Amino acid sequence: MNYMPGTASLIEDIDKKHLVLLRDGRTLIGILRSIDQFANLVLHQTVERIHVGKKFGDIPRGIFVVRGENVVLLGEVDLDKECDQILQRVSIEEILEEQRIEQQAKQESERLKLQAVKERGLSIPKADTLDDF
Amino acid sequence: MFRFQSLDEDCTLEEEEEGQVEEEDDIDQFNDDTFGAGAVDDDWQEEHARLAELDERVRDVFAGGDASNASLPPPPGSVPHPSSLPRPSASTLPPPGLEERRGGDLAESLTRLLLGSDPAIAGVGAAEPDHSRFPPMSQAQVNSHSIWENNMGFGPVSVSPGLVTHMEDSPLMSIIKEVGLPKRPPPIRGEDGLDLSERVPPPRSSSPVIGSPPVRAVPIGTPPKQPLSHTLNQQIHCPTAVHVRAPIQHRFPPPFPERLSPNTLLNIAIASTSFQNSPLCRPPFPAGVGPVLSQIQRAQLLNSQVGPFSRGGPAPPMLPGGGGGFRPFFSQPPPRVGHHVPPPNHNPIRHNTTHLHPQHRRMLTQRMQSRGDRGGRVGDRRSRDPYSNLMTQKEKEWVARIQMMQLQSTDPYLDDYYYQNYYEKMEKRLERDKDSIRKEPTTKLITPQVAKLEQTYRPVQFAGSLGKLTVSSVNNPRKMIDAVVTTRTDDEEKREKQVWNKRRQILYTVEKMYSLLLEVQDFEKKFLQTPEEQREALLEQHKTHTLQLYNSLKEKEWEDRVSDEQCLMIMSVRKGKRLMSRLLPFLPPPQAAAVVMGIARNLPALAKKDKHDQQVLCWLVEPVAVVIQSMSSSALTDLLQELQGSEGQLPRVLQNKFGVTLLYLILSEGERMQSSDPNCQLMDDNRWTELVFSVTRELLKVPSSSLSPPLFTPPNLLSLFSRYVDRQRLELLQEKLQITALSR
Repeated sequence: MNYMPGTASLIEDIDKKHLVLLRDGRTLIGILRSIDQFANLVLHQTVERIHVGKKFGDIPRGIFVVRGENVVLLGEVDLDKECDQILQRVSIEEILEEQRIEQQAKQESERLKLQAVKERGLSIPKADTLDDF
Repeated sequence: MFRFQSLDEDCTLEEEEEGQVEEEDDIDQFNDDTFGAGAVDDDWQEEHARLAELDERVRDVFAGGDASNASLPPPPGSVPHPSSLPRPSASTLPPPGLEERRGGDLAESLTRLLLGSDPAIAGVGAAEPDHSRFPPMSQAQVNSHSIWENNMGFGPVSVSPGLVTHMEDSPLMSIIKEVGLPKRPPPIRGEDGLDLSERVPPPRSSSPVIGSPPVRAVPIGTPPKQPLSHTLNQQIHCPTAVHVRAPIQHRFPPPFPERLSPNTLLNIAIASTSFQNSPLCRPPFPAGVGPVLSQIQRAQLLNSQVGPFSRGGPAPPMLPGGGGGFRPFFSQPPPRVGHHVPPPNHNPIRHNTTHLHPQHRRMLTQRMQSRGDRGGRVGDRRSRDPYSNLMTQKEKEWVARIQMMQLQSTDPYLDDYYYQNYYEKMEKRLERDKDSIRKEPTTKLITPQVAKLEQTYRPVQFAGSLGKLTVSSVNNPRKMIDAVVTTRTDDEEKREKQVWNKRRQILYTVEKMYSLLLEVQDFEKKFLQTPEEQREALLEQHKTHTLQLYNSLKEKEWEDRVSDEQCLMIMSVRKGKRLMSRLLPFLPPPQAAAVVMGIARNLPALAKKDKHDQQVLCWLVEPVAVVIQSMSSSALTDLLQELQGSEGQLPRVLQNKFGVTLLYLILSEGERMQSSDPNCQLMDDNRWTELVFSVTRELLKVPSSSLSPPLFTPPNLLSLFSRYVDRQRLELLQEKLQITALSR
């Protein structure tokens, strides 16, 4: 039954597999079980998927209750298309390791950049960690 | 007291379990009245006895098929043992015995309730209980007991067998026997909000009438309960279901994830069967049938039966099987039941409260249909998901409703500009294109606008009470201060405005003059600082300023007369008076004299204004004195004349301190002139003499009280007066004016 013609609502997405991107950068994949007016989500059989390059790893998380304001976007996962993936699935340890390496590399490059900039007498104002916007 | 005793004894008996048979007689007599058995023809004790018998038999049967006739209690006519029931099965069933004993009372009331309400059941129950029912009863007993062991979530059957006896034939009761009644939910509930007594906030002191939001039994924001009514109301027409449901309205957490809780199923089954099947299938309860299915089996059954139906929402209200447990009663195949299933898509846009453009609606239905075709396959998959439909239909509707409410707008053109415009354009396009082919009349979109609610709140007032009622709530916060706005009439406002404008103007003028004055004052300093060549220019400037200053005071036409109204205007303000006092020294003598003349002339008016603040005018004394001293005799005379002015002016002048002082100044100056220079022109005409005479006359006439003491008394007044008045008067004057004889 069509609940909200002409509008967008999550009601029709219930009991379907979804991919949810959170504000802190995490990617959750789970079956959307329940919603409310704030778009708080209840995800069932949730899996946190970490992507590094062409590899990804899944961490099973169980049931997730996500506060609506922390969701960037979410979308339904097409179960057919999910099968044929270009990305390579690896184990959790491996992906975490990869993630760590990536983080390190990023930090290193940041540091070098800052140093170079400082040498030239300039300064880049550091973004406040709490500043989301 | 009567009752008390009986109850007491009854209780003790129960507690002791192996009751004293000897006390039976007493208890029985009392019990009849205590349990309100007056209305009932049946002797519940007989019933009880019979059931007790029955129970024993059942146990024996179960144990080993031993016919327990020997253990049958005496025939119904005799008084039964209350304790006969628990005794044979002492080990496991004392609690049930107790339950049943106590439940007997409940049973009675329930029986009456149910019997009274449902004609079908009543018909059944009216029959005398007979022994033929024992086997089924035993069955019931077995089931109910076995259910206790089972952790299905059903508690001990609170309805005693007495109740069941009456209604054994009814499908309802067979179901209850089979499944057992749900136990009472624990008092502390989760977010269901079911145990309302605990969740309800204390009743508000303000009634809804006064304006607070209606008292809600359930706190705002709780999702709706299980849709018992929703599913059943559609099909149930007889009141049975309602009544039956009433005592077991409680919702309890489903023992397994299947969303159709057994309670719901029970109710559905009850409803369906009572409505539909009661005349049809009332199969005798086969002995030994219906061991309770395990949870998984039940779930599977439900799922398999739910599968074929579309899964647009939760499972359709009518389940064909109603669960495996009810299978015996649904011997009629599903098609019969299927009649009651509403077509799943009978109204695709049912919950829509917004008004869509018809074109829009058409597009949506098309889209829906295509999705429906596609989704058939998906539905099958979802049916296998045991966790599906955790969110009930009601809950979905609730969320949808909230979201729709937020879309209601009072001004669609403001809130939904693009939608409105787009469809307008489309309409126009359609009209343009399809002009030839008039398939249907072009439908226009008329968006209804939600009427704006009453915004203003009027506090409740009662006639005759002091002030307003102090009732506040979320929607109408209390007014702390009753600030009444007094609106002045137009005239008053105009007048006030005028006054203020005038004052403002005066102040403005004064300010401007001040700035000029300051320039003039600073001239000297500037002069010293500027180099030689610029001094000329500065001098010129200075002269201009000074002229300007005077010009602002003087009359339009007359060069040597100060404008009265200007003078008055400026002097009406304190700052103006100060200004004048500072101004005078800078003016050239003739102009200064003119100013002083003006002051003298207008002194009465100024004096009147200055009544409250006499100090201010006195600032003028010094500069005026200076001016006077530089005045010529004729000017002085004129001044004195001005001061005297019209009739009655002098007394008023005399009332004012400044006036008196001024007068004295003038007189003393005159005197000085006379005494210093015998050839002064003061005596040339009689004016001076006459004026002095009038002054003296006035001074004598004026009462002492109205004579204001001057700032200072010039010493030569005495000599002045001595010239003009005789001794007697001189003395009087002396006294009056307190002129000391210390004169030069």
